[in-house]
Parts: sequence; C-alpha cells; structure tokens
Amino acid sequence: MERWLAITGLVLTLVLGWTLWDASEQEWERYQEAYYRQAIRLAQKGAQREWASSLRTEIRQLQLNGHTTVERCVTCHLGYDNPAFQNFAAPLRTHSALLKSHPEGRFGCVVCHGGEGRAVTTLEAHGQGQVTAKPLLRGKYMQAACYNCHGANTLPPQATAGVVRGRQLVNSYFCLACHKINGEGGEEGPDLSRIGSHRSWTWIYAHTVRPQGVVSGSTMPVFPLSRDEIQDITIYLSTLLDNHDRLRYLPLLAKRVVDEMPAHGWVATQRREAPAQGDAGSILFSYEGKKLFHGAGCYLCHTVDMTGGEVGPSLTFIGRKRNGENLARLLKDPEEILPGGKMPQLYLNDLQVAALVDYLSGLR
Amino acid sequence: MIDVVAVYKKVIGGTLLAAQLPARFYRSVFRGGYPASVRQQLAAVVNNLVLHVHPTRLYSRSIEPQTTFGLGLICFYLFIIEWITGIFLMFYYEPSTGAAYGRILDLNYTITFGRVMRNLHRWAAEAMVVGVALHMCRVFYTGAYKPPREFNWVLGVSLMVLTLALSFTGYLLPWDQLSFWAVTVGTNIVSYAPVLGPKLRYVLLGGDTVGSDALLRFYTLHVIAVPAVTALLVNYHIWRVVKDGGLAHPSENRGADGEPVGQRSESVITTFPQVVYLELLVFLVLMVGLLVASLLFNAPLEEEANPLTPSNPSKAPWYFLGLQELVGYSAFWGGVGVPTILMIFLLVLPYVDRRQVGVGVWFARERMIMIGAWTLILIGIVVTTALGIYFRGPNWSFYWPWENWPGPH
Repeated sequence: MERWLAITGLVLTLVLGWTLWDASEQEWERYQEAYYRQAIRLAQKGAQREWASSLRTEIRQLQLNGHTTVERCVTCHLGYDNPAFQNFAAPLRTHSALLKSHPEGRFGCVVCHGGEGRAVTTLEAHGQGQVTAKPLLRGKYMQAACYNCHGANTLPPQATAGVVRGRQLVNSYFCLACHKINGEGGEEGPDLSRIGSHRSWTWIYAHTVRPQGVVSGSTMPVFPLSRDEIQDITIYLSTLLDNHDRLRYLPLLAKRVVDEMPAHGWVATQRREAPAQGDAGSILFSYEGKKLFHGAGCYLCHTVDMTGGEVGPSLTFIGRKRNGENLARLLKDPEEILPGGKMPQLYLNDLQVAALVDYLSGLR
Repeated sequence: MIDVVAVYKKVIGGTLLAAQLPARFYRSVFRGGYPASVRQQLAAVVNNLVLHVHPTRLYSRSIEPQTTFGLGLICFYLFIIEWITGIFLMFYYEPSTGAAYGRILDLNYTITFGRVMRNLHRWAAEAMVVGVALHMCRVFYTGAYKPPREFNWVLGVSLMVLTLALSFTGYLLPWDQLSFWAVTVGTNIVSYAPVLGPKLRYVLLGGDTVGSDALLRFYTLHVIAVPAVTALLVNYHIWRVVKDGGLAHPSENRGADGEPVGQRSESVITTFPQVVYLELLVFLVLMVGLLVASLLFNAPLEEEANPLTPSNPSKAPWYFLGLQELVGYSAFWGGVGVPTILMIFLLVLPYVDRRQVGVGVWFARERMIMIGAWTLILIGIVVTTALGIYFRGPNWSFYWPWENWPGPH
C-alpha cells in the first residue's frame, strides 16, 4: 500500500509540474522581449534609450466602450504606434496610416481585423483556437470590415471593389436561383442573408471552391470560378450579417453622428453643394430625415415598409401613433418616454432630431 | 578573544533544537507518535476530527474494490474539488450579462492556472453527475437501501437532486450560446408542470426570459445556496453510514426462519492505517486523472450568448436530454409525468421493499424482479439521453451521428 501511495504521489507531482509548465509557457513574452531588444537598439537619444529600457514585460490591453471591451492585440503587436518599426515583420511592424483616422483608443482592433481580442496566443487571438471566434481578416478580405461600417458610397471605389464585384458575380452566376438573400431568391439552397455572421470567410471560401469538400453530400454544383472571383464572392458574402453583428457597429456610427456634424447651418450647405472635404473614409450623415434614418442605423432595429431589423417595433405607421413633440422627446432621451426599453441614447443634435421627426411624422 | 568552544556548542545546540521542531509540532497536533499498536490505531481514528467519522474497525471485505468501487468516496472528493476550484473561479467571475463571458475568456486566455481550474471544475462536475448515478446503482444492486438504511437512501436521493441542481445552475454562468440556450430549454421543461410550472420558471429566472436577473439568481444558487445545503446533507449522509451499521453486509440477510444467514467469521481490520491509506490512494489517482483530463481537454465554450440567434438545435445539459427527448413526444410526460413518477419511486422504494434478502450481495437472485425493474428504468434513461445527445439535429429531427446537419439557415 505504501508503495502504491509513493508511486501515485510521484505521478501527481509530475502532473502538477506539467500544470506549472503549461501556465508558465507564454508565447507573448518572446515577442515583447524581441520588441524591447529592438527598441533599445533603435533608440538614439539618451531619453529614448531610457524609455525603452524602462519597459516591462506585461500583458497590455486596450479598454473600449467604457471598459467593457478588452483587446490584448497590442500585447504582441507592440510596434503598432512606433514609426521606427515600419520595416519590421509582423507582429512588431508599425500599423498602416489608417490608424490615424481610426484611432485604436476609440475603435480597438477587432472591429476591423476580426479575431479574438482577449486571447494572447497567435492561434487563439487570430481566431483559430477552440472558441469559435471569427478568423482574422487578411489582405483583400479587410474590405468586408470597411464596408460594414462605411457602406459602398462613402469610400473610394477601390476600397470596396471586392464587395461590389462580389455582388455582381452573385447576380451574374444566378446564385439567387437557389439561394435567398434579403427575401429575394429561390428556396433550393440555404438562405444567405446572414451567412457572414454564421460562417467565417475561410469557410465561405472553401465552400465556394468545392461545396462537397466542406458539406458532404451537398447538391450545390462546383462553378468554374477564377480565384479572384471566388475571393470577391467571399468578401461580399462576409458582409451579410445578422442584426446582432450589425448592432456591434451601431455605437461607432452613433458617435460619428455627434462628432462630425457642424452645430448649425449644415442643411443649407449640403443642399447647395457637395459635402465639405473630410478624410476619404468618413461617413457624412445626411441631415435629411430619411437618409439619416438609414445612416444612423435606425433601420438596423426598426422596420419601415417591410425592410429593416426586428429588434424594435415597426415604424411604418409611427406617424399615427406619436405626435411630433412626443417623437422629438423620445429621440432626445429614449429613457424618458420608454423607461427600461431597449432603444439606445443616440446623442442626436437638435437639427438631426428635427429632421428625423419630420420624416417619421410622415409615416402614416 | 572569542571562546570558540562556546560558540561551537551554541551552534550545535541551536541546530539540534531546530531539528526537533518538526517532531514537536507533529506531536502537538497528533498527540503522540505514529500509532503502532492496535490500541493506538483505534485511538488515532477516534481522536482525529477528520477520521472520526469512520468506524474504528471494519470487515476486511469493506475495502475490497468490488464491494463499493469507492464510488461514494469519489463523489465526496469530487465535491471537495468543486469547492476549491469553484472558490478560485469566484475570484475572477462577475455575474453580469455584460462581463461574464469576458471573464470566462480571461480565465481561458490570460489568468494563470485559469484554464486548468475551469476545466477541473467542469470535468469534476460532469464526473460527479456520473459518479452519483453509479453510486446509486451500486446501492440499489447490492440492496443497501433496505432497513435500517432507508432514511440514508432518502438523503442520497436528495443529494442526487442537489447534484443536478448544482450542475444545472452552474451551466448558465459562462453566458455563451451553449449555456444560454441550454438553460432556456431546461427551464422550459420546468414550465410544463401544471399550475405551478410557469410560476416556478418565473421565480427561477426572475422574469420570463433568461436575462441578467436569471444570471444573478443562478449565480447565487450555484455558489452559496445549493452548495451550503449539499455540504450539510453530505455530512449527514456520511455520518448516517456508520450510525446505520456501516456498509451493507450479507450477514444481515435472514432466511425463511428469520435467522441470519451467511457467515460472520470474517477478518476485521483497523481503519488506521489500511482504510485511511486506501482513501488517500483513491484521492491521488482521481486527482491525477482529473488533472490530465483538464490539461488535455478544454471545457466547452461557444460564442457569447445572443438572445437574437437561437442555436438550432437548442439542447439542455446532457443529463436532462432524456427528459427533453420525452418532451419531444409529450410535454406533459417529459416535463412532469416521468420525473414525478421517478422521484416518487425513488423516495418510496426503501419503505416498501423491506424484505431482508440480498443485502450486501450484488444482483441477488431473490431480488430479480426489483433488479429487472431498475435495469429497465436505467436502460430507458440511457437510451433517451443518448438519443438526445447523439441523434438529434436541427428542429429536433432524427440524424445519424455520422450524418451532416443542413447548413446555415
């Protein structure tokens, strides 16, 4: 008996050692050490060198949305805001110039790049681990993320070319003969209206190449598509999201309504001439009620004339139910009129509220 | 000039004193040295807070593996492991819908030992459900619920219900798609009970749907209410084993003339050291197995709970899938009829089946009818559960395990 106790005690000690090793082996520490070595080497002035030497090996994170979202991508991608690292390989390389218009403190990383922000190993953070996070968007596929916030009309054409071409290809290959997208199309195959939320782009790509390779027994034919065509179709299908995923972009859109609108006089200028120049990537919210309704994301939750989301009530006849003053108060502070409701505070300014009330009152 | 000899003496004296300290400490705790004589070994059990729940002596048959397979002991160890790992997880967990899932991801990704502790907690919980079921089967098949142990059987049935309650309330806490929809389905099964069902569901969830109130209630139930009651009952259950005469033994069987049958001339051993060492061995083996499983296999986790996108199929936790399978045929029978009948059967059993035959004997021939009935129930539970786990796809339609389910909807 004592011998068996000794043997199992030894085995347990070994397994505990394995547990300890499992917890101490950290991939990100290697990247941080490499970064600090290079940072000290590149530092020219004494002050810089001092700064680089003072860096500690630690998990770094961005906290967004009032600290509820945590993204630890910068634990490994340390050089993202350091211009000295432009010629380095990933993960230390400097971020492209897009970081200027999309400051990481406001947007974080995941909203554009996908992946799992809380993880700190390559496998898991890049969405290939056990948890079913979306795999990282790479290269051309990044377009899908740009499009999800900005839409097609406000970006330079080349920035969403894949999405636009993908949509044309879906039409020209008669995908809708079998598949439904947003209520149009056949019943033969599965509805694709929310495919981008349910499947990753790697899945969609592999499935478009050869459906039977992914879903055995699939009756979908193999189409003679070029590599580029498959990529574009994949990009387009990745932009078809469900309401939950689309709502993730709503807080970002809503903030832009507040930040970018001049306080007065906008309606007049916009009617006369093209919008004032901004950076190429900005969304310019219309001050016309109907456009604002779509631009600010109201349609993500509310239906008007059969199109829109199902989170909030249909607004097709809202003009009959609420008068203008009531609507204005509701839009200013939803909590006042609908205490405890789901309607978010959108921080609209007076002009925007007036435009929306104008539009909504006409729905009767 | 330094007195070398005096210093030397002081150093030696100090070293000797230091060397004696562990032994002094040991004696202060255990009141004496290693118990070598039988008399000392009996005293070692009686005078020890942890050990005194044992009898001082027992039949050597009691520690043979096939007598109990140590199942009750294993369930007890698993419960302790759940407490320890559970307290670790409580340091990090936050029962709010906005934060819970992120905390679970943090446990998985960044917290030192977080992943292995979560895995241990999960696998020990699953093992406890299985262990309790096997323990019950052992007690049934050896007739160990018969008088005078009938009340301890009732305590055991309560502990089974509490184990399921612990497991089910813990299921919601990760707040991922799996747990959200499993609890939605599980509490729907509750609501099929007549009159009280919907009310009970409302009280359990703090509302009509699974939301932040439900999460807070399940958390409170999971970390304090149910474990506290379970810990009390576990103590009572173990204490009653000795008070009811120890393990069931064939010598309690009575023949047609009312006289005991079977031999009593068995060898008796002292609890210390054999039984204590064996119990320690069982713990070590269990711990090695659980740790290796926790290092190799991760506890299930899906995407964050999303009330707008139901998973299809939505399955209850696996131990309730038998009931969900029955709900597929009849909401009343799956939700109310069958569970009520089973509970009444389990609670009444030891007060009806009182004949002193087959006690302490596996599959005694005299009890074939009861054994057959129990086996049928067991097969029914296993088959419906397996159907629910492996053969049900979207919309609860039948699929072979190797068949693909239809693609995205």
